Amino acid sequence: MKKIIIVLMMLAVPVLAKVDLTTLPARDSVQLTIYNSADITLARESRDLTIREGLNRLQFSWANTLIDPTSLEMMALAHQSDIDVMDLTFPPRVRELGLWNIQSEVSGKTPFEISYFTSGISWRAFYMGTLSENESKMTLQGYVRVTNNSGEDYENAQVRMVVGEINLLDQISMLAQRQYPYGSPMPIPKAFRETETLSRKSNTRSLGMLADGLMMAESAPAMMAKDVMKESLSEYQLYSIEGTETISNGWSKRLPSFKPKDVPVKNLYKYEERMYGPNVIRFLSFKNDKEHELGDSPIPEGVLKVYRNVDAQSHLAYTGQSGFKYIPVGEDVELNLGAVGNVVVEPKLMDYKTDNYRFDGNGNIKGWDEIRTFKVELKNTREIPVKLEIKRNFDSSYWTIKNEGKYGEYEKIDLDTVKYTIELAARAKKEFSYELTTYNGSRMDEFIKANR
Amino acid sequence: MKIIRTILVLVMVMATMAQGRIKLVALPERADSIVRLDNPQFTLIEEERVLTLQQGVNKVDFSWKGVNIDVDSIRLSVIDHPDEVKLLNVSYPPNEAALVWEISSNQAREETVRISYLLGGIDRLVTYKAVADKDETQVDLKSYIVLRNFSGEDFDNTQIVLDYGQTFMRDIRHEETKQLQFFKKTEVPITKIWTFDARSMVWDPETVPDQNIGIPVSYRIVNDKKSKLGDNALWDGKTRIYQNDGHDSTIFLGEDNAPMTPVGEKVELKLGNSRDIVVTQRKMDTKDINKIFTKESDYRNRRLVMFDREELITAKIENFKDKTATLTMIQQIPGEWEMLDCNMKYTRKDNNTIEFEVKLPARSADGPAKKELEMKYVIRHIRANQQPRVINR
Repeated sequence: MKKIIIVLMMLAVPVLAKVDLTTLPARDSVQLTIYNSADITLARESRDLTIREGLNRLQFSWANTLIDPTSLEMMALAHQSDIDVMDLTFPPRVRELGLWNIQSEVSGKTPFEISYFTSGISWRAFYMGTLSENESKMTLQGYVRVTNNSGEDYENAQVRMVVGEINLLDQISMLAQRQYPYGSPMPIPKAFRETETLSRKSNTRSLGMLADGLMMAESAPAMMAKDVMKESLSEYQLYSIEGTETISNGWSKRLPSFKPKDVPVKNLYKYEERMYGPNVIRFLSFKNDKEHELGDSPIPEGVLKVYRNVDAQSHLAYTGQSGFKYIPVGEDVELNLGAVGNVVVEPKLMDYKTDNYRFDGNGNIKGWDEIRTFKVELKNTREIPVKLEIKRNFDSSYWTIKNEGKYGEYEKIDLDTVKYTIELAARAKKEFSYELTTYNGSRMDEFIKANR
Repeated sequence: MKIIRTILVLVMVMATMAQGRIKLVALPERADSIVRLDNPQFTLIEEERVLTLQQGVNKVDFSWKGVNIDVDSIRLSVIDHPDEVKLLNVSYPPNEAALVWEISSNQAREETVRISYLLGGIDRLVTYKAVADKDETQVDLKSYIVLRNFSGEDFDNTQIVLDYGQTFMRDIRHEETKQLQFFKKTEVPITKIWTFDARSMVWDPETVPDQNIGIPVSYRIVNDKKSKLGDNALWDGKTRIYQNDGHDSTIFLGEDNAPMTPVGEKVELKLGNSRDIVVTQRKMDTKDINKIFTKESDYRNRRLVMFDREELITAKIENFKDKTATLTMIQQIPGEWEMLDCNMKYTRKDNNTIEFEVKLPARSADGPAKKELEMKYVIRHIRANQQPRVINR
């Protein structure tokens, strides 16, 4: 449905009157720049308008769309020094209509550009990963899905997507639905406010219906091998889809954002009680760099569904899914696939004793040490090698640790957390132990002195 | 619709006859009018009208309906013959939105007067549009007046004035909103800044695995001559910032409310967040030292009077961008404190706030550019009910 209508009114003399209304120019081209962090799309359309020397009035209306009138801008693409866009008026008692006054020194066909924000068009990235049988490689495919619920059909639009978190003060959908484009300095009468709420409710309903229609559209995805050009601008990434796309109101479209890549992955398992409780969490880890067949551009946030090749006929098993955040170039990726039972981490308290009691003049205890010995058993029941990261949290910053066995290399993460990193072969078992001493009361002071 | 009327009331001046107002036909039209919008809260209307005055005392009736005029703000000034034409007094008829001026004139004449008043329901917003170049070193800045007339009054061919910039002659209808560009400056220099504020932002992104901790990014513009501005204070208003994308088009970078910016002052406008700069801040150690207790002989009854807490903070800063960046890092240390060790230069912003400026190179083939802050400080803790003066330091 075409709902944005442009009417050019030509005036021989600059007076305010209804005058001969001539041209109804069609959209020549349209470019959509769609954001994913907020419901906002920058639309830029060019139209050839036949203008006359003198004052021209251009009427732009957008009933039943979600255009933000405060973002409307018009610009001549030729004869710029001879064409003055004087003002933009939102006339009284008419909704969703703007009127430009254009003073021109030239006449004839002139290209103009009209740009505005609209709400209701969105895009998101999602991914499919297929693990090789030994789970050492993952074929990664990236997609974007663009959805148009803006009320307007955009035919043959150049589609661009922005990855990034922009600062927005007002919701575009709110600006699009205001009674007056810039609000009013007067309080809006109560009766009026009520009707406004009502109309907004019905609008929400109709959006709900659109969402249903959208599910149908998804079952027949349009696959096209188009290139997506990626570049970085300011703090954002701009993805431009090759050629043009037609996205009708209510429809969405899936487009590949990057082609399948064979990414070497590590099967990483993590254990940290403070973060995950007493569970082992499975991660797939890789890096957004050349070594991992990636690293051309950041990877936008999205959900990755992970499958696994189970046999030579390429039958698939579904492993799980993970939402992940935006990944800059060069950053490590860890995809959380959830808790598992086939890799086991079991920390056990093997010994508890106290020592080094200190007494005051009255014979009361003023300081002591607690010594705990933990054994951590690790079991990999899978047929592939895995990497394990075990974090241990203490409830004190007055501690020392002694390690036994050959896996006792740890890294201090913060004041009360250490991390052990251990590789386990297929169907292998390992264990390591550590002795944790915590210092209490006046033993804290002695501990500080001893460590200076 | 015209709701504000000025009616010339001619009354033969007789000492005893002052009752009853007779409105006469003389209904002078507005000549010139000005809508002055330099006060963000109140809009001043000035209109000129030509009065046909008789010799002697004339009564001029000024009345309005359905508009909100601040009665005490109404002023009348005589333009052509201020020495011969005098405003004698102003009276207010009962239960009417009106007033009556008594004007004396030494002869019959056509006299131009200016009527000024504050009118409610009409105001303006100021908005900006800035388009940055691809390298983000400068912006083209346009400013617009958005005139909102919900006053109940129509104005024909009236002059619209802010305090500087362009003025406009326009018709303004009741319930009309009009957007007018009132200045444009090209190639205004900007500085791009990234800020990590440890007071309000998440320290360790690993604790929120599903979320990027974006670093706020702003453009700084100085309102001075060097920046091609500096003639006037910049009005406060919503600013939308775009960037030239190098393909004859722009992308939208973000928007922020610019505060009122006097000449010589700077304004910082937030665009959005960078997710290519990552700060991981952690407390690596904390220890209590120099403990002083009360002197009870039983250790269990002793109370801690004061102690010093040493803290070791590290903040790893990674730049994943292929461009350099300068990060402003704000750290807060509460109470009475002393820096023991710090591997980066800082400036003290106030007693509890320090600021670092960290220059970050671009990422290399090996990965992100990294810098790490390490600071160790000590904070004095004193038990709340202890008077500092009784403590023997």
